[in-house]
Amino acid sequence: MLKILIPTLMLIPAIWLSPAKWIWQMTTMNGLLIATASLIWMKKPWDTGWSFLSPYLGTDSLSSPLLVLSCWLLPLMVMASQNHMTSEPIPRQRLYITIMVILHSLLILAFGATELLMFYLMFEATLIPTLFLITRWGNQTERLTAGTYFLFYTLAGSLPLLVALLMLQNDTGTLSMLILPYTQPLTHSNWGSGFWWTACLLAFLVKMPLYGIHLWLPKAHVEAPVAGSMVLAAVLLKLGGYGMMRILVILGPLTKELAYPFMVLALWGLIMTAAICLRQTDLKSLIAYSSVGHMGLVVAGILIQTTWGFSGALTLMIAHGLTSSALFCLANTNYERTHTRTMVLARGLQAALPLMGLWWFIASVANLALPPLPNFVAEVSIIMSLWNWSWWTIFLTGTGTLITAGYSLYMFLMTQRGPIPSHILPLPPSHTREHLLIALHLLPLLLLTLKPSLIWGWC
Amino acid sequence: MSTWTRLHAKAWTARGLLSSRRVTDRYTWHYGQLPSCQTLSTCTPLRKDLFRELEAQLSDMRKKVSSAFPGSTWNSFQDNRDLPPERADIVIIGGGIMGWSTAFWLKHKEESLGDLKIVVIEKDPTYSQASTVLSAGGIRQQFSLLDNINLSLASADFIRHINGYLGVMNEEPIDLQFNHSGYLFLANEDVAHIMEENHITQKYAGAQVALLSPTQLKEKFPWINTEGVALASYGLENEGSFDPWILLNSFKRKARSLGVVQCYGEVIGMDCESQTLGSFSSTRDIKRVTSVTVQLLNSMQFQPVECSIVVNAAGAFSGKLAAMAGIGQGPEGSMAGIPLPVEPRKRYVYVVHCPDGPGLDTPFLIDHSGVYFRREGLGGNYIAGTSPEESEEPDVGDLEVDHKFFEEKIWPTLAHRVPAFEKLKVTSAWAGYYDYNTLDQNGIIGAHPLVNNMYFATGFSGHGLQHSPAVGCAVAELILNGKFEALDLSRFGFRRILTKEPMLERNIV
Repeated sequence: MLKILIPTLMLIPAIWLSPAKWIWQMTTMNGLLIATASLIWMKKPWDTGWSFLSPYLGTDSLSSPLLVLSCWLLPLMVMASQNHMTSEPIPRQRLYITIMVILHSLLILAFGATELLMFYLMFEATLIPTLFLITRWGNQTERLTAGTYFLFYTLAGSLPLLVALLMLQNDTGTLSMLILPYTQPLTHSNWGSGFWWTACLLAFLVKMPLYGIHLWLPKAHVEAPVAGSMVLAAVLLKLGGYGMMRILVILGPLTKELAYPFMVLALWGLIMTAAICLRQTDLKSLIAYSSVGHMGLVVAGILIQTTWGFSGALTLMIAHGLTSSALFCLANTNYERTHTRTMVLARGLQAALPLMGLWWFIASVANLALPPLPNFVAEVSIIMSLWNWSWWTIFLTGTGTLITAGYSLYMFLMTQRGPIPSHILPLPPSHTREHLLIALHLLPLLLLTLKPSLIWGWC
Repeated sequence: MSTWTRLHAKAWTARGLLSSRRVTDRYTWHYGQLPSCQTLSTCTPLRKDLFRELEAQLSDMRKKVSSAFPGSTWNSFQDNRDLPPERADIVIIGGGIMGWSTAFWLKHKEESLGDLKIVVIEKDPTYSQASTVLSAGGIRQQFSLLDNINLSLASADFIRHINGYLGVMNEEPIDLQFNHSGYLFLANEDVAHIMEENHITQKYAGAQVALLSPTQLKEKFPWINTEGVALASYGLENEGSFDPWILLNSFKRKARSLGVVQCYGEVIGMDCESQTLGSFSSTRDIKRVTSVTVQLLNSMQFQPVECSIVVNAAGAFSGKLAAMAGIGQGPEGSMAGIPLPVEPRKRYVYVVHCPDGPGLDTPFLIDHSGVYFRREGLGGNYIAGTSPEESEEPDVGDLEVDHKFFEEKIWPTLAHRVPAFEKLKVTSAWAGYYDYNTLDQNGIIGAHPLVNNMYFATGFSGHGLQHSPAVGCAVAELILNGKFEALDLSRFGFRRILTKEPMLERNIV
């Protein structure tokens, strides 16, 4: 564990001591090296237990894909921000990358935590660097509202979690994820237990986000700079999913009844957000709402608590992380050229940037869960386990998938096909860095098609 | 040297890497050259001295903190109320009738509310020099170019249904004070044939215009002296005058209710990024305006507004604005060296009072010499004016009125044409700018070929107000759909400026 964590932390002195013209390249290179080294976490032991254990940190089949994803994402974030930060003074650029590295190390600690309280602390701690990224480097004045929504929604959701965890520590004497599965499950069915159950899950549901409490996400994703959007969409949302998976183990048979309202909200959210996406005019907003929909499916998959549900949820988290991050990068390449996020003003771009059109195509079909991509594998697993739980859900998930396909294709056709407005005909050509960035997003996704068992979790 | 001094030297050397040369110099002076140490360069170090910078920063911070104590007037919260937003999708420069018409149509045509972020930047909240409000306010279809006739017809239709387009809920309905007086053009022998040809074009376009012989003219308007008049052209429908302030405010009110942001400030510069596109024979630099710097009025505060599209609707000042984007700043003879040929030209309008003058059915009369007059209100007041000769253009530095111009150029013709006007009194006068297109006195609508995202809606040379609803619609279509849909105004594009092919009207005022 430390062999990845220490190099990540040591990136910070490296950033401040590097010569000014090498900071971006240096961080990217080192980030990629760390990401390559992080692949050792994928080595699964023969049993489904924990590996790389230390008293505080460890990985298992649930956390290792997420850890590798977040390690992979750091150099990609740095690459994506390189262009729009060139106008800032050098110390501020260093500060920007430092904040990203701090966020990243907190994420490693969060995903690698073996104790629930440490996980909670890191979960909360990631809010601060993200808030800095959104409110300081976002593009518009609305970023202040976005930061406020983001911070307070998550905080309000997670304070009950702290109380619940402390209560749990009091009752069972331990909060270690290795031991908790073996404690007595909660069998009382009084109001107090119900509240405790909700308190445990609420923080993660807000983070996912669940449909009714999702308002912070479109704001935060849209107003954040590209690196902020990437990390938010790809990793921070998955913190919520990961937390849910961990804590559901100890929530006992209560989940069978109490999960109903959240299941309903999650599936209804899938349809609602997909419908909202169909009439979105702002590109980043469309991608943000699509994240809400996909995470709704993840929530539903987790709350079912079956093997296929869990593995589908985990696979969807990884696949969606890569896809959503790729879409945000593509939206940013558009924005840097046309200076507008409105789709009606920046469309028909395939005529001007054909290779980007290819990346847009792959990212869009990944978003709509085209077989044989891992997105499809994941969605189908979740839909099947939902069908097993209650066959009525097929209407909801089927409609949701249909509208998802609709808006993904709408986004692709709107941005790429059609007549190109004359005011964006002569666009600067795509940089190699941008091609590399999107390729590094989509290549793992395409390779995972061949071996999705890497990200399946315990199955 | 002893071990102690050697060690001391090493310690001082280490410090020497981080501290100033003065310290190590002092040491060297005391103890001589340091053995076995890294060279201390005599020029400024490559890396910034962290501690020296730190000291400067600390003293800055101390100064800032002390000035924030009570008693000092420094406030960390800046007054940012009137600043434009940091970025907008479309920046419309010029808050006159063209600017607000374009803003309204863009919002009207967008598919869902909140889609486009539009900012209209106007440098004079009192509109003291704006051509819109100083205009005589007439609308006519009697042009010779079919495009102009169509524009006027479309605008007249808009004005007819203005409450449908510009009505805002819970606000009063709009009353433009439209006076259906009709225009009356008088032609002498030399130009009567031009008038007949124009009449055919106008009829073809669908305008209701009647040709009158001198006797018919005398019958209809007994107060006219038909000497020298061979033919007259009288507009029967959709012609007259209205209040430009009301139209401007209606557009503004509706656009703002749909979400257009208004900013009072002056554009002081535009940042562009350019790319060189090359073919085998030549290269061309294509530019995009990436941000517009707006300075607030009476203030040093400025804000760069990052934008995707810029609409130049600055009227008489469009030429100066276009130069900020580099139009006309290139080498002579190249495309980049051709400036926007719009400049301000001063025109006078005189209000006269004549109690025995023509009655309520006075048309907007335009004599073949160029002198015009129309009725203003119901108290026997009239507005008159004319365009001066090319060689006698008044100075555009200010809007002072030259009364001798009226006495020398306008009054004799007026008195000749309408005998009742021999006894009149000038009660007031004002001057306004034409956004005069020096090439052909017709509007320029469309994008510039080299600055891709700057759209023009300017250069109308005195007939912009009457075309403004249709032009705003056309520019909005161009921006949103990439082509004209309702009216094809491609002949008004910038191309004719580049190829120097003027599109001249054959009868203008």
